[in-house]
Amino acid sequence: MDHLFLVVVSGIASGAVYGLLGLGLVIIYRATDVVNFALASMATLAVYVALTVVNRGLGVWAGLLAAVLVAVVVGLIVREVLLRPLGTGRLFAALVMTMGVSLVVEATVADVWGTEPRAFPPLVEGRVTIGSAALATQDLVVIGVSAVAMLAVGWLFTRTTLGSAMRAAAESATTAQIIGVPAQKVARIAWALGLGLAALASVLYVPKVGLAPMVLSAPLFRAFAGIFLGGLTSMHGAVIGGVTIGVLENLAASYVSANFRDTFVFVLTVLILLLRPQGLFGTRSFERV
Amino acid sequence: MTIRRKGALAILAAALTLAVAACGGGAQSAAGGDGSGPITIGAWIPLSGAQAASGVPQMEGAKAYFSWLNDNGGINGRQVNWIVKDNAYDPQQTVQAARALVGQDGVVAIVNANGVAPSEAAFPFVLDQSKIPIVDHYGGVATWYDPPRPLLFGTQTLYEDQAAAMAQWAVESGARKLVVVHDDPKAFADVAAQIGPAAARTDAAATTTAVPVKLGTTDFAPAVSQVKALGGDAVMLILPAPEAAAYLKAAQLQGVTLPAYGYAPLASNTVVTLAGPAAENFRAVSLVRAPSDPSPAMAQFREVMAKYASGQPADYSTLLGYANAAVFAEVAKTIQGPVTAESIAEAYRNATAVETGVAPTMSFSADRHVGTRDVQRVTVQGGQWTAVGDFVSAPDRS
Repeated sequence: MDHLFLVVVSGIASGAVYGLLGLGLVIIYRATDVVNFALASMATLAVYVALTVVNRGLGVWAGLLAAVLVAVVVGLIVREVLLRPLGTGRLFAALVMTMGVSLVVEATVADVWGTEPRAFPPLVEGRVTIGSAALATQDLVVIGVSAVAMLAVGWLFTRTTLGSAMRAAAESATTAQIIGVPAQKVARIAWALGLGLAALASVLYVPKVGLAPMVLSAPLFRAFAGIFLGGLTSMHGAVIGGVTIGVLENLAASYVSANFRDTFVFVLTVLILLLRPQGLFGTRSFERV
Repeated sequence: MTIRRKGALAILAAALTLAVAACGGGAQSAAGGDGSGPITIGAWIPLSGAQAASGVPQMEGAKAYFSWLNDNGGINGRQVNWIVKDNAYDPQQTVQAARALVGQDGVVAIVNANGVAPSEAAFPFVLDQSKIPIVDHYGGVATWYDPPRPLLFGTQTLYEDQAAAMAQWAVESGARKLVVVHDDPKAFADVAAQIGPAAARTDAAATTTAVPVKLGTTDFAPAVSQVKALGGDAVMLILPAPEAAAYLKAAQLQGVTLPAYGYAPLASNTVVTLAGPAAENFRAVSLVRAPSDPSPAMAQFREVMAKYASGQPADYSTLLGYANAAVFAEVAKTIQGPVTAESIAEAYRNATAVETGVAPTMSFSADRHVGTRDVQRVTVQGGQWTAVGDFVSAPDRS
């Protein structure tokens, strides 16, 4: 029983990171129609800056703040300099652009900080013992922070004027502009929010595995699986999808087979998408032809 | 019309020249063969991508050694020109690198290359077509050397022998029930499979239980929970270094205090850096001496790194590249006359008792193309790898 508890809670903690990354992806996608493949590499760059801050003795919380700031600034520069000139409706051009940015940022990080993995301190040290199972306090923090982030973003999108503007821009940037919604400003806010969340997720994730230039490749892949499972257009779907992926992969590895962990998780995801193409929480959209 | 035809002929001639260059000139036309000029050798190493973490320091270690060697007379008075191409751990890029090294740079040997699967892609062109030897490869598999290929020579104890050596160490230390935590791909599973037979040969009462995990696992809580439930005497880790560090941290968190052993890739600074205090007392078998070893040869390694690669640490990653370069130099020094692809291969076949002071003593023959089966037992003490005794031979696996 302790084993099952450990497997599930640990899976939720991993999944919460996928969920936060997924939330960042969905916010950017909904507001600007851009699937940001550079999200993970830009967040990684931000964590390297955070490590520099931590190594200067300023503490891990200052590092977190630095990571969020750097991610937001880099994200805005990429958005304004590289993606905005592409114009609207250039989905594939933007996709390729973000892939290119991802490669450039990874190479830059490797060049500046080297490729050797580095340790990054957790936000909170210590452990919590439940029965014979022990959990890192950091894992509980990850779960709590993700839950708060999801609720805050949900509140922002449903209860505030800015959220309404962002939803309007997501539906149609042109129409939103006509009714007075500043689409470009909304896009910038969405990119800042998305990158900020990604940086937060990264700072929570790297203490477990170490910091390396491509450390977020695997979580990004799972975050994508999570947002497709939860629904590409759903904020809470992104988080719940990510958490589901995290728990499922732990359950599969423990009770099915380590060899078929990913197979099990993704077969289940495909089956759900066959039954609900819009994902668990997404809304089906129709286009007039 | 004439001008156009001449232009077309010029383009054709240029294309043919490029094609001939790309196909390689073969061993006879390779540089460094006859006179007193530099001996040109090359390597493909992942300097970008995920594997660059091992490739870059490996290159820096070898570069530092060759720089020191050239400042101290080179090989029998000849300078060494070691050309490195980035293969990004990609087979296609490796083949392109091989064509450039052989065809354009005219290397007489590939020395210290890195990437098992990528290198295999280049074997037909380099070994079979161009007849250029590949020596002192970083990593490798048993099938490369059994049966031996005429132009392929290794300097690192095979993974299978490393696994057998760590099993022997654990059983000698009193463990009888070994739990083997390994990644699921065949490359890891095959190595892990050597632990059971080696343990049983050391003591017939020894048993092993496998706990496979998915390659790329970052959450080791479930695996540690399984290890805890199995109640073994020791844990054998056949995982990449970051995963081993994640395992050690999860084990510490769950209060699992079983002694843990690792194969040579885990004798690395990455494990100590990432696992922190959880790495204390972790044991591994290493391919080379501990970087902190007080011997004169190791002191020289640290001095060479400080002088020629000041931005790089004198650790396992750089030492492995350094050691491979040193073995090449020692073998090449035995060549009397022109240094060619043929003479290098011949020198390796005849090399016995090759001493570098940083790696085990190497001996090759026509039938034995891996120079050693020895490992150095090391353990983490006070956050630093420390040697346990001297080099020991891996137990016989036949």
